[in-house]
Amino acid sequence: MIFEHTEEQSLLREMVREFAEKEVLPSARERDENEYFDRALMFDRLAELGLTGIVFPEKYGGAGADYISYAIAVEELSRVCASTGVTLSAHLSLGSNPVYLFGNEQQKEKFLIPLALGEKMGAFGLTETSAGSDAGGTKTTAVRDGDGWRVNGSKIFITNAGEADTYIVFARTDKQAEKHHGISAFIIEKGSPGFSFGKKEQKMGIRSSPTMEIVFENCIIPAENLLGEEGQGFKVAMKTLDGGRIGIAAQALGIAQGALDAAVSYAKERKQFDKPICSFQGVQFQLADMATQIEAARLLIYNAGYRASRGLGYSQQSAMAKLMASETAMKVTTQAVQILGGYGYTRDFPVERMMRDAKITEIYEGTSEVQRLVIGSSLTR
Amino acid sequence: MKILVCIKQVPDMESKFKIDERGTWYAKTDLAWRMNEYDEYAVEQAVQLKEQVKEGDITVLCIGSDQVKETMKKALAMGCDRGAHILDEDVSTKEPYMIAGVIAEYARDKGFDLIFTGMQSQDRGSGQVGLLVGEMLGISGVSTVVEFSYADGMVEAKRELEGGVKACLKVATPVVITCQLGLNTPRYPTLPNIMKAKKKELLTTNIAELLKVDARQETLKMYFPEKKGGGQVLEGDAADLADQLIKILKDKTGVLA
Repeated sequence: MIFEHTEEQSLLREMVREFAEKEVLPSARERDENEYFDRALMFDRLAELGLTGIVFPEKYGGAGADYISYAIAVEELSRVCASTGVTLSAHLSLGSNPVYLFGNEQQKEKFLIPLALGEKMGAFGLTETSAGSDAGGTKTTAVRDGDGWRVNGSKIFITNAGEADTYIVFARTDKQAEKHHGISAFIIEKGSPGFSFGKKEQKMGIRSSPTMEIVFENCIIPAENLLGEEGQGFKVAMKTLDGGRIGIAAQALGIAQGALDAAVSYAKERKQFDKPICSFQGVQFQLADMATQIEAARLLIYNAGYRASRGLGYSQQSAMAKLMASETAMKVTTQAVQILGGYGYTRDFPVERMMRDAKITEIYEGTSEVQRLVIGSSLTR
Repeated sequence: MKILVCIKQVPDMESKFKIDERGTWYAKTDLAWRMNEYDEYAVEQAVQLKEQVKEGDITVLCIGSDQVKETMKKALAMGCDRGAHILDEDVSTKEPYMIAGVIAEYARDKGFDLIFTGMQSQDRGSGQVGLLVGEMLGISGVSTVVEFSYADGMVEAKRELEGGVKACLKVATPVVITCQLGLNTPRYPTLPNIMKAKKKELLTTNIAELLKVDARQETLKMYFPEKKGGGQVLEGDAADLADQLIKILKDKTGVLA
């Protein structure tokens, strides 16, 4: 199997890289330090460049491009700022794709088009205090109330929370049904009565991306905001996360590539014992391993993206891509800090930020352990 | 309004260059390619002009192998309407007079009101092609333009001259404009426009059909300058360092009298 970028994919990479380096990179360190989400830069500009609906058809406001293009865009943004990368990934894969996959035409018209055009921002609420890797543990409830639904409960660790305009939220609609079968998915708009935001998390990394709790207290939503069929929520969540893994894998890949680029550049400049440290075999071997792991992760991501765009099954492939890319990001950024030595440990160089940013990719949208479960169960079922 | 934009694909200037086997150009292996920076200003100005006059047709022209089509797609994604690809597998051997001859031959009788191009290419840097095209077509040419406006068939342009001096002039179309840094900020080709670019016309013509002039110059040799010694490291305390620096600035430069 040989992956060669199409002309469109190459142009997209060139465009996103230029935008990322000129506009996103200059404020990345400051935004990280101040935990500041700059919506005009990190979302509105992406909308202007046509990136907020990359994979959706033009009739729904998208660009009609493929999943490899999506991975390229998230990678290039994350190469300089992982917070900007995850903003796009959470908006597109988690906040918008479920409407594309499971929404009816009215829902696509009302919600997907403004999301794809970037007029609205999307988010996704699955995790609760008692439901994370085990989505079946969902405690948030939705009960019929007149013509609509009454939602109670809360969701934690929600990326884009507070900023996003629409939230895909999972709630238990049938307490009698078996764990996974009683859950339904809903589209809940910011500003709905009874919908509020809890505390903003103070995180180790991706600090410029907002993460908050979202709270529903007798939140009333219209009946037509049920996404997919009643009781189908677990399926909506799992299908959504298959696509989400490609986004997070691409984010991890970008972080790793950014760290490798910084390490190579430093190793060429830094002299010890009268020679640039890149001339020492010990450093070269480290760089070689980092580059090889990155390339392997990249090919796994493109393979998953290729299958996703052609309607082939890709659950196992996206789990492999996310597992490989996120663990590579953690290893490569740790090595990059080591190569930069004392400087790498300071905030004057970006690799410490990349190392902090990398860790979350092993945790969110399915921990590495859950990815191994997905892969393992597909091998043994 | 009919507009022609002439662009060139050049290596990314951060590439590591090597001299080729003939010793007269750089080797083309292991290079990343992109649009000549000055030509990006040309594309942007053409698109801005079309947006201003609200009608018009922009042809982007590029000479080279099939590889240059990728750069042409960028121009199409930025807003050009159609592409004219002049196929030449060995374009680096064509000197500026020949390149200008090919462009002029293509443009002749097509009635272009404006022809935009970069003031020079980042790799050859002759700065001749744009003005030669104007000369060959018998139309005006304005070089190193940093400000441009158009109204009723007249162009007003500001040129950048040596030492920061500027010159303003007025010229009637048809005219060739060569674009300098500072003229505008080229737009990013948005993803939807990148996707639409693949549906735009991009016709290829073999260079043999358009090359009617002979070379007037030949590159004899291309080489890297000899490496000079490293920088001078001054040592001592702050007062000593300042004295030494002042002495150097006085003796070796005109910064201090």
